[in-house]
Amino acid sequence: MFEKVLIANRGEIALRVIRACKELGIRTLAVYSEADVDSLHVQLADESICIGAAPSLESYLKIDRIMSAAEIGDVDAIHPGYGFLAENPHFAEVCESCNIKFIGPSSRAMQAMGDKNAARAFARKAGVPVTPGSDGIVETEDEAIRIAKKIGYPVMIKASAGGGGRGMRTAHNEPSLKSAFHSARHEAQKAFGNEQVYLEKLIVNPHHIEFQIVADSHGRVVHLGERDCSIQRRNQKVIEECPSPLMTPSLRKKMGNAAVKLAKSVGYENVGTIEFLVDQERRFYFMEMNTRIQVEHTITEEVYACDLVKEQIRIAAGQPLSPHVAHAVPRLHAIECRINAEDPARDFQATPGRIDFYYAPGGRGVRIDSHVYTGYTVPSYYDSLIAKIITVGATRINAIDRMRRALDEYYITGIKTTVPFHAAMMRNGDFRDGNYDTGLMDRLISAGKLDLASPPIRLRE
Amino acid sequence: MEKHDLSVFEIEKEGFRLKLEKGASAQAAAAVPSAAAGPPKAVPAAPETTPAAPKAIESVPLKEIVSPMVGTFYRGPSPDAPAFVDVGKSVTEDTVVCIIEAMKVMNEIKAETSGIIAEVMAENGKPVQFGQVLFRVR
Repeated sequence: MFEKVLIANRGEIALRVIRACKELGIRTLAVYSEADVDSLHVQLADESICIGAAPSLESYLKIDRIMSAAEIGDVDAIHPGYGFLAENPHFAEVCESCNIKFIGPSSRAMQAMGDKNAARAFARKAGVPVTPGSDGIVETEDEAIRIAKKIGYPVMIKASAGGGGRGMRTAHNEPSLKSAFHSARHEAQKAFGNEQVYLEKLIVNPHHIEFQIVADSHGRVVHLGERDCSIQRRNQKVIEECPSPLMTPSLRKKMGNAAVKLAKSVGYENVGTIEFLVDQERRFYFMEMNTRIQVEHTITEEVYACDLVKEQIRIAAGQPLSPHVAHAVPRLHAIECRINAEDPARDFQATPGRIDFYYAPGGRGVRIDSHVYTGYTVPSYYDSLIAKIITVGATRINAIDRMRRALDEYYITGIKTTVPFHAAMMRNGDFRDGNYDTGLMDRLISAGKLDLASPPIRLRE
Repeated sequence: MEKHDLSVFEIEKEGFRLKLEKGASAQAAAAVPSAAAGPPKAVPAAPETTPAAPKAIESVPLKEIVSPMVGTFYRGPSPDAPAFVDVGKSVTEDTVVCIIEAMKVMNEIKAETSGIIAEVMAENGKPVQFGQVLFRVR
């Protein structure tokens, strides 16, 4: 087992990793930027080294400074958390060449799944359904029409060199496809200097359902069921639950097996997540693979009774899958709400600043993963996630009502947070019925259907 | 300071630090440009029982040479060689003041300021982090 681990991250996930290390008796080294001097993960780590100025590019993304800190600190392994360098194959490679264990998959596996197009090819080869589409670049209008007829409308025309939602057009029928095809190519040429486009079936109002993979270094790969992450705002996950209200035992078996097969085919090791889109008819399509621990790993932990971060460390240290992980079965229902430093009443505008008073809910079945505290200043340089609140219940409705109860106790002053938004969601009929898709949240917000009044609680500070 | 009965007043703003002291022992102010940018904070200290007239402030600018990287600090180019600089040594912007070793690469650190070394703040052979003060320069 490792003696010392460097945590190459910040915020709640850095704290999460430090907690796992402490429970395993591993010494911790935190690296931090000048904006994070007072951060909880820095204060609770055994050692800490400042690696740069506030901007991520000058600190948390500085591979050379992180490796230098690792060398000075004489660490055995580095945990990259999520975001930052967690899915950077070059960083994993540097760790490998410095003989410091990167707690995650090999840089080769990371690279295979990191290229979204190549990942789709791997999925096809492994017999995993992918979103129907052209098998490559579409050169002519006639080809586009032929393919669209085959895969069925509506379709998306996507720039091959594209990204960030640019160079994409939707077409619902043949006439609109003709104009969309040409304008997509034109826009692609202007934006990316490359007019090449391909076609993909547009899945209307899908569920985003992802499967948790755990693989050891001895070839053993299992899945720990699914998480439904369909409650999203502008493609950002906001609420997640496990299991999915859409799931059936036979669908879970099919999707789970597909996920395991794909992970095995790329020689995957450590934890990862395979994301699928599921349509109204419960047909599933591979979307992409995330080669890291995810923000919402917590709800899988609660339902499958395991510690995924500790398992990551064990796997990286060469141990086989823990029996309780290999044979995990789901019990209970769990929900996670991501609490951000954002004002839901002002289009979720970011609200960094000092937290004057912080009281987090407790009680049975309530878990808080957070690095903030009274007097902590949320910096403006990083993402706005300040806490994850997870509730567990015997049934889905129990978990929702427990979350409602807990959110009504959650008291944070000094900055605005998304607590009122989540409190409104727990009371929303569609959500409570499990009747939602990835478009629900944006629809509710634009229709102004959520009561965003602050919770009634007032504490004497 | 008289009004609030203060004996010491210290303020730190981006690139600048000022400390005022009154009383017989006050070898007063250091107006100290600080390299680390931070939010402005005023630190009033406990009032003295016998307020004296505030002394004239003598400004002695002390500049800081801070570490631009994470690594191990060395005073000289090799273990048996003499140190690059000592207290009292005059430096200009291009003077090499120390070596910081990172990942087996020896990086020569330049003063990037001019003056006289007033204090050596880091210890030979010990790790230094980003932003750590290495030398104070008068």
